[in-house]
Order: sequence, then structure tokens, then C-alpha cells
Amino acid sequence: MRRFLSTVAVVVLLGVAITAPPWQAAFPLALAQPQRSPAAPARSASPTYGHVLNVMQREDLPQGFAIHESATNSTVWPSLPCFNNLVMFDPGNPLERPDTIVGDLAESWTWRDGHRSLLFSLRAGVRWHDGQPFSARDVKYTFDLLREAPDATVRLRINPRKEWYDNVEAIDAPDPASVIFRLKRPQPSLLMLLASGYSPVYPAHLPPAVLRTRCVGTGPFRLKEWRKGEFVEYVRNPDYFVRGRPYLDGLRYIVITDRGTRFAALQAGRLDVAFPGEGSKTLAAQLTAAVPSMVIREVATKVNDNLLMNVKRPPFDNVKVRRAISYAIDRRAYASAVHRGGAQIGAALPPRPQGAWGLLEPELRGLPGYGSAAEDRATARRLLAEAGYGPGKPLRVEMATRAIALYVDAASFVIGALKQVGVEATLRQIETAQWHPIVTRREFLFGTNLTGIGTDDPDAVLFENYACGSPRNYSDYCDQDVTRLMDRQSQEGDPAKRRALVGQIQRRLEEDAPRPVLAWRLDYFAHWSHVKNLVPHHSVYNWSRMQDVWLDR
Amino acid sequence: MSMVIFVLLRLAPGNIVDILFATGGYVNDADKAAIVRELGLDRPIWVQYVGWLRELASGDLGKSYRYDVPAWQLIRPLIPVTVELAILSTLIAVLIGVPTGVVSAARQDSVVDHALRIFSLAGLSMPSFWLGMVIILALVAGAGWIPPVTYVSASENLPLHLAQFLLPALAVGYRSSALILRMTRSTLLEVLHEDYVRTARAKGQRGWLVVCRHALSNAILPVLTVIGVEFAFLIGGLVVTETVFNLPGVARFLVQAVLWRDYPVVQNLVLFIAIVVILSNLLVDLLYAWLDPRVRYA
Repeated sequence: MRRFLSTVAVVVLLGVAITAPPWQAAFPLALAQPQRSPAAPARSASPTYGHVLNVMQREDLPQGFAIHESATNSTVWPSLPCFNNLVMFDPGNPLERPDTIVGDLAESWTWRDGHRSLLFSLRAGVRWHDGQPFSARDVKYTFDLLREAPDATVRLRINPRKEWYDNVEAIDAPDPASVIFRLKRPQPSLLMLLASGYSPVYPAHLPPAVLRTRCVGTGPFRLKEWRKGEFVEYVRNPDYFVRGRPYLDGLRYIVITDRGTRFAALQAGRLDVAFPGEGSKTLAAQLTAAVPSMVIREVATKVNDNLLMNVKRPPFDNVKVRRAISYAIDRRAYASAVHRGGAQIGAALPPRPQGAWGLLEPELRGLPGYGSAAEDRATARRLLAEAGYGPGKPLRVEMATRAIALYVDAASFVIGALKQVGVEATLRQIETAQWHPIVTRREFLFGTNLTGIGTDDPDAVLFENYACGSPRNYSDYCDQDVTRLMDRQSQEGDPAKRRALVGQIQRRLEEDAPRPVLAWRLDYFAHWSHVKNLVPHHSVYNWSRMQDVWLDR
Repeated sequence: MSMVIFVLLRLAPGNIVDILFATGGYVNDADKAAIVRELGLDRPIWVQYVGWLRELASGDLGKSYRYDVPAWQLIRPLIPVTVELAILSTLIAVLIGVPTGVVSAARQDSVVDHALRIFSLAGLSMPSFWLGMVIILALVAGAGWIPPVTYVSASENLPLHLAQFLLPALAVGYRSSALILRMTRSTLLEVLHEDYVRTARAKGQRGWLVVCRHALSNAILPVLTVIGVEFAFLIGGLVVTETVFNLPGVARFLVQAVLWRDYPVVQNLVLFIAIVVILSNLLVDLLYAWLDPRVRYA
């Protein structure tokens, strides 16, 4: 028996030992992994070719590579290396503004007829990954598909951004190298929408459904394998139209659904790059402490936490109640408590300087929730009293939110803040599968929500979230004055005048409080120091082409 | 059984179309109805059920709603991963649980017995996923190393493959070993008080020989049942361990499929788990007969 027990002990110890790090010394090749390099300067100043970049992916691709049928970065982030846009935001510049837009499949573009017509000249000699030539026909096909043109031969199964192209009257392709977008009314911001990661050009010779299972694009990387639930692997496109690009031999997006494991894998060097929007301030501090050479960049995500109040149903059909709720929540305390300081305060559009259109700090003062906390709470109580609620008759509401931590954390803070002004809110957590159907059908009264914006332009944000009848205007807010202002800003060619109009709209939205913004999240994007030329933008969506990235190993 | 799986799935709120639109962030009722029709979800449940049975009978597991590929193509690579992890975990559990249970019973109320009982109590109290997470965090903090996060097959690289499987197997096996230890100890204690054990001792047989040859062979039958149940449980119960160690197994995929309401994948995976449970119970019954002549000749 003693011998038997000894044998068991040896087997167990061997099992443990074989998995433990000292074993690496004995089998260095088997467990070869990136070293925890000291914070040394780059060995090579000029880009070098080769290597495979291991990239974090938080979940499997929900719609495959069909970016136009999806509204999540879980699709865009791993799919963009396969595609190209007409235009894109300069990959090397974190700011996304009209002046940072550069050509992609379009070599040049010209506005005509007072921003009513946009002419693109396309690159010659571009081929799809399956060898077919790219032409203006593909561009026309893609954007006719998106705007659901009457003569389009196919339809997308799901078309979440149809509204983006509502103003496009026709798309002409007079020759294989030219495309003209004809607009119903002037819309200078169209270029911003076309530069978004959500606007790649699809191949006209394939049905859009094909892209749900495989990727055929013109981009710098070709799909090698998508092992469902595990990884997406790309190899270099040797025929890429940008000479000398990409630098990398390939990309590997590794699906890791557990957040703790994702960051352990990054810290251990199994991954080179994090997923955009995943890094909190606390996590960044932990990573830096563990791996001093880890590069952490603070960037805006263009994702905000907001409150949804169904303005069609009492008590939120009363603007005084909505405003009281907004006054009750101290935005600075919210950013500090819920995000540990890793968030910015701001109204409907992303705050400056990372955003282009947000209200500045002095402009926010005086708006509900941005002043002195004590005074704002007193105002909230007064407004509630005017609406007929008080200690004798407290306002009781049920707050709905999606049953995931990001949402529940926000909801918990709000419930606590409302209690301080005498509002008794209870939390109702809704499973993800039910969340969007419920808010889209307006089967809620009050909720906390997260909203990401594809591109930092008032047209993309305002029409989608605040226009009368928009499916994603979850609060069902509809104000004719605001709608007129939205139309006016959209047509305004003078940036200064447009900014003034957009500021006016934002102040009005904060005062009407159908969907008060609580904070704009910041990301602490992490990557290893050997990853070069990967510049995270102040948005999570629009910069994952990877064509300029290289590894200095 | 198949009917229960089928109906329960459809009773859960929402379907794949709700999820598809959720990822799009909006709902268009006309488009939604079109997809529901396309997937056949508008047909009465019994029609869908008969259709599934017919497909199953012809060896066709249907097509994944989410990935639009045959369900079998998705399920096939998952099975070896989970089966290997379950076997390794069970092996570790048995290798730890049975010997320690024997020692604990043979040294009843000694310091060793108390220590082993604390060891088993700790195993039962610690969820395996928590232990898994602790292992991962300890490794990354202490050594800056964790096992590979993509699946490495044994033929590709055996040491890496073992590194990938042994840690989760240890995390899961420890919990199961605690159960086996307690069961071994209690059944063995019962047998050790039997007359024939006392007789064997009186005849001068050595202590360990009495315990291992005469008592253990009679005490092991209930333990075997526990091992069988544990193994069957592991096939579907490794969800969090597979998630924490990022292993592409059945349980992790099943949870994703449930969240996506990918009925064809869920139905077939649950059916697979049910088959494993039946087979492992059958195996335990056969082992009973092999180990116990009373069962064999009854």
C-alpha cells in the first residue's frame, strides 16, 4: 500500500510539475513565448516585415464578417483587416474629424453642387481576394444595398444603419473608376459616415450572406481560417493595392470570453494587443504594475452611459419629472464612482477635445446634473414637488437594465442617487436576448443603457437617437423644433455655424431630458511595446485595418 | 427526453432572431418575420419537432442558426476536448480521492484523518472555476506564464497539450476527489467494522492487506457510482472551467449556443450529454457485475 501511495504521489507531483513554469527551462521550444521585455527602446526604427500579431477578441463574431448586418465591435474589430472603405480616418491620427479623412479605395473626391453631389475617383488595379476586379459597380452595389434602393436586387437580412444613407437619392457609376453620390439635400457629413469602420465596400459578385461565413474583401489581409468560437486567422494579402503593406505576415484574433483570462493572456504575452473599449483605469494600473513595459493609451471610446425615459408614458411624459431625475444624478460623482475616474462628463455628443462637437465644461454648468450636487438635488426635489411627488407621495419607478455588469453598475448608482431626492426605484434586470426587443418596442418605463456611436458626427448621433420615429430613439422623444434644428445643422456648410447649432440642440436635449447622458467612457487600451504603428483612435470602431502595424521582436 | 429538450428550449424567452436584431441594436418587425419564416420558427412546435426527429433519424443534425453551417461540423471538434478533460479530471479525482479516502478510513480520528478531511472539505467548498481562476492568476502573477489560449492538439505539440489540459483537470479533479475521498472513507469505515474483517485480522493478516484486499473491494461499489455520476456531470458541467482556461469544449459552446438560442446546436449537444450520462451509467453497472459476484449471478 505504501508503495502504491508513493506511486500516486509521484504521478500527481509529476502532473503539477509538468505544467509549472520551471518546466519551461527544460523544454524551451515547446513553451516558447514572448519575454517580459524591459522597457527598452525599439530595436528597429524602420518597419520590419514578418510575424503574426495575436489580437484579443472578446466573443465570437456574431454575424461573421458581415459588418453591414451588425452593430457591434465584436464584428468590426476582427473583420476590418479584410475590407476597405472608400475613405477612412487616418490610421496614424487618433482624432476622427473631417480633416483626418484620407483616401482608401477612393484616390480622390470632390464635392459639387453645394454639397449635394459627391464624386469619387477610384483606384485602378484593385482586386478582390478571390481575384475578381474591383470597380465602381461594387461601390454602387454596397451603398444601394445599405440605403435599400428601389432597384437594388438583394437586401441585407438586418440593416441597422439604413438611416445613415436616407439622404442619398441615387448613386451613379458612369465608368469603372468613378462613383457619384447624389443627395436629396446638402450633407457635408456624409464623408464622416463613409470613413467609419461600419462602411466597408462589399463585393458585388457575391451575395451578402456569404460574408456571414467567410470574408472576401480587398483588404490587406486574407482570411485563412475561422474556427468557430476559437479564433479568426488572416494571412498577408500579397496583392494588396498599397505598395509595401501590410508589414505583418498574419493576424490571429483569439476568442476569449472570460475577461479575467483575456487580460491574463495579454499579461502573459499570449496576446499582443487588447480589445478596444475593454480597459478600465483600475485594470490599466494593474497591468502597468505587473508589466512596466506594457503600453497603455487613454482614449475616448465614443460610448456613453445614459438614462432612458419613455416620454410617451406617465410620469415621464412630464418634463419636470424627467428633468428632476437628471438633476438628481451628479455626473462628476457618477464618473468618479462607477468608472473610478475613467470617464468624461458630456452631453449628447462626445466631449472635446477627443470629440469634435461636445459641450465644453463651462457650457455644461447650469445643465441638469452638472452643477453643485447639493443645489441640483434641491432643484430635483422642487421639480418633483411641482409634479405632485414628495415625502407623502414618493415617485416609485421600476428601472430596467440589461443583466450584465456594465449596465447593472450604472443602474445601481442611479438608484442610490434617486433615493437621495425621494424617488424609490427598483431594479429589473433583463436578459440580453430580451433587452433590445423590449427597448425597441418601448416596453419599458425607465432604464439605464449604453450607446456607442459609429462616427463622431451630429448626423450619426442625433438622427439615430433623437429623431422622431427613429427605431433607436428608445425614449420616443419627438420635438419639432429640435428636428428642424437637426435638419439645419446637417445642411450647414460653415463649421462654426454648425457647431453653434449642434450646441443649441445638445442644451435643449439635456433640458428636455429624454435620454440624459451620464458619462462618456474612456478606454485604457493596452498593447505590448513590440507592437508598432498601432494608434488607437478616440473611438472603438474605426481603426482596426492593421495595414501599417508591425512587430519589433 | 428529446421532447423535453425541444420544448424547454422553445419555452425560454426570445429566439435567435431577437438576438440577431439585438446585435444590430434595433428591431424591424417585417424583417424579423421574414427571418423567422426562413428558419421555420413560425411553424407549430410539433411540426418542428417531427422535422428534427426525421433529420436525426437520417443522420442529419441540422444547420446552426448562428453560423449557418451544419451543426455536426461545429460539434465534432468539441467532443474530444471535453471528453479528454473529463477523463483526465476523473483520473486525477480517483488518483487523489481513493487512496486518501483509504488512508483516512484506516487512520480514523488520527491527525492524518483530520488533515485529509479538511483537505476534502476545502475541495468541496471551492468551486472548480474559482480554483481555476486562482491557478491562472497565480501563474500569470508569479511566472508571467499561462497555458496556451488556443487549442493545441496532442499530435501538434504533446507537452503544450498536456500543459493545457492538466491544470483545468487538476482544478476540476480536486473538487471531485473530495467527494470520492469522503465516500471512500465512509463506506470503508462501514466495511472495516464487519465481522469478516475482524476475522481476517484475527488470523494475523497484515493491516494494509486487510484494508486493501478484503475491505476495499467491498467498499468500492458506491464509490464507483459516485465516479460514474461525476464523470457524466463533468461532460456538461465543465462550462466555467472551459471558459476560464479557454478550452473549446462542449460545455462552453453549449452555453454560447443557449445564449444565442441556436436550437439545432443546443438540442444536439444536450442529446450528446444525455447519451454520455446513459453510457457512463451503463458502464458503472457493468463494472458492478465485474467487481461483485453477487450482482453477476443474481
